Amino acid sequence: MKNIDEVLSGVDWEQGLVSPEIHFDEDVYRAESDKVFNKAWLVVGHEDMVPKINDYVTNYMGDVPVVVTRDGRGDVHVLVNRCSHRGNQVCLFDRGNAKGFTCSYHGWSFGLDGQLNGVPMEQALYHGKLDKSALGLETVPKVANFHGLLFASFDPDAPSLESWLGEDVSWWLKNFVLAAPLGGLEMLPGWHRYRSPGNWKLVSENFIGDDYHVFSATHISWLAVMQEFVSKGMDAPMATYPANAQSVYEGAIGGAENAPFGMGMVTVGSDDLFQRDLSEAKTLGTDAVEWIHHRKQRLDEISKDLEGAPYSFMNGGLFPNLGLMGFFSPMIGRQFLMFHPRGAIEHEVWQWNMVEREAPQVVKDLAIQRAHQGQHMAGIVAPDDVENFERMVEAGKPTRNWERPFHYGLQMGQEDEGPAGLHGTMGPNPSEFNQRRFYRFWLQMMERK
Amino acid sequence: MPAHDLSTRWQLKQEIEDFLFREAHILDEHRLHDWLDLFTEDAEYILPLREYVEGKVEPAGHPIIKDDKDMLRIRVAKDDTGYSHVEIPVSMTCHLISNVVVDASSDPDEVIALSAFTVRQARKLRDEAWWAGRREDVLRRVDGEWKIARRLVHLDNTVLPRGIAIFF
Repeated sequence: MKNIDEVLSGVDWEQGLVSPEIHFDEDVYRAESDKVFNKAWLVVGHEDMVPKINDYVTNYMGDVPVVVTRDGRGDVHVLVNRCSHRGNQVCLFDRGNAKGFTCSYHGWSFGLDGQLNGVPMEQALYHGKLDKSALGLETVPKVANFHGLLFASFDPDAPSLESWLGEDVSWWLKNFVLAAPLGGLEMLPGWHRYRSPGNWKLVSENFIGDDYHVFSATHISWLAVMQEFVSKGMDAPMATYPANAQSVYEGAIGGAENAPFGMGMVTVGSDDLFQRDLSEAKTLGTDAVEWIHHRKQRLDEISKDLEGAPYSFMNGGLFPNLGLMGFFSPMIGRQFLMFHPRGAIEHEVWQWNMVEREAPQVVKDLAIQRAHQGQHMAGIVAPDDVENFERMVEAGKPTRNWERPFHYGLQMGQEDEGPAGLHGTMGPNPSEFNQRRFYRFWLQMMERK
Repeated sequence: MPAHDLSTRWQLKQEIEDFLFREAHILDEHRLHDWLDLFTEDAEYILPLREYVEGKVEPAGHPIIKDDKDMLRIRVAKDDTGYSHVEIPVSMTCHLISNVVVDASSDPDEVIALSAFTVRQARKLRDEAWWAGRREDVLRRVDGEWKIARRLVHLDNTVLPRGIAIFF
């Protein structure tokens, strides 16, 4: 068996060659749990999932089950869902509102701040010797709220979230993903979750920048159906692909020092998609038209000191395991996807959806409906991705097949040939630049002593 | 209850069961255009995912499928392109339908039919999924034939075992 250093030498991101071993080997998976998931800042949800005192929602950090809570004082905590006594899970549900959690094994009970509050027959059995203050639920040491998006890190020495993200990533996350200057996003309740074959990195790097697959092979059935239905004058719900590919760029933000963030397709310097939103808004009434104009004006304002005004984005990803869908348009809901590792060759997608808060209800209704018809587990986009991952796993399991590297050579040397003067780098789309940056950062974390 | 009513109800139940069983065969034979014909033009097809909320099973927010007939047509048209990878090669399915109960509706042309299903989906002899749940159908008699006016699918999952590209 190779040692980890040998395996890592097979990750030649500069040449765009990556050893498949890092997507299949269980030893790499275990090393990665420690080096990546125990160190990185991970998204654990959104503050609107726990809007009231005593609300809680469960999630995972890597493969560690956690509970995101809002305690009696209104503070948000991230707790490891594991009793301090014998390691049983204490929170059994996906979400709810409760004063605390009581373990089903011996009945130890904990507050939403993680404190151990009660131990059955404590005086009779422990004779006053039990140090309850040291036996709370494990509290994830670093928690931060970024314009509503909740992050946590298991590493008490992790850099601040601010420096993990850096200025450029923060700009895009705040303004484009979370739409802060447009009034922010509104939560649609409910976890939507599915199992999928494939290492979590394969799906993460797909979201962070693989747009080659969209129109070259994977999603051509979707694109063909849209064209057919639009030409028949029927309502094709996911008709959102830009007609003019000239103005679509790959945004590469963050990277060597900060967590890489990729915007798969960003539109800059073209009015095409604004005009399409506007013409659709006209069919929805004056509220919708006014709102589309208003948000365009706000977008131009926040970009006034830049050399171009981005309007919308299709997909995106933040290292390590957050995926995003913007669908180019506020007439479609925005999706947040977490790719939780489940062993080397499987992952689980946990997805939630949001719409722009200030949108008129008629737009929200449309956006909600459409969000579920596309990049969604029963939509007409995501299941085709899952099928590819399944095939890659089947072809990639034999160890002899790990010798030949995966190829990430698209747009090598053309990385920055997009408009200058925006936050981060704009390059041509499609590209595999963001994937190369993803593996560079992954390698840095894995090599860190 | 008069014998006449009993035999009418029995006949109705037989008719509805026959309809649902034939529908299952149409799906398993992958005759999706014939399947679309079983729906009224104003049909709804709804499939919520589930969540555990304080111990109770609740719908997980917006249904993961909330289709009108055009959206069902889009799904079938997608497979017709020949590039719908998730159905290349086509899934082998076996829909087992049981526990059929038929009740009157407030509309004399409609009935409410409850049923339970188990669906095995096999692909390439190795990747398989088992699906189970219940359906609440509103069936409407149109020109002497039964049509599905509304189908609500209660799938027993909080986490799907794979993406959905088949019908229940």
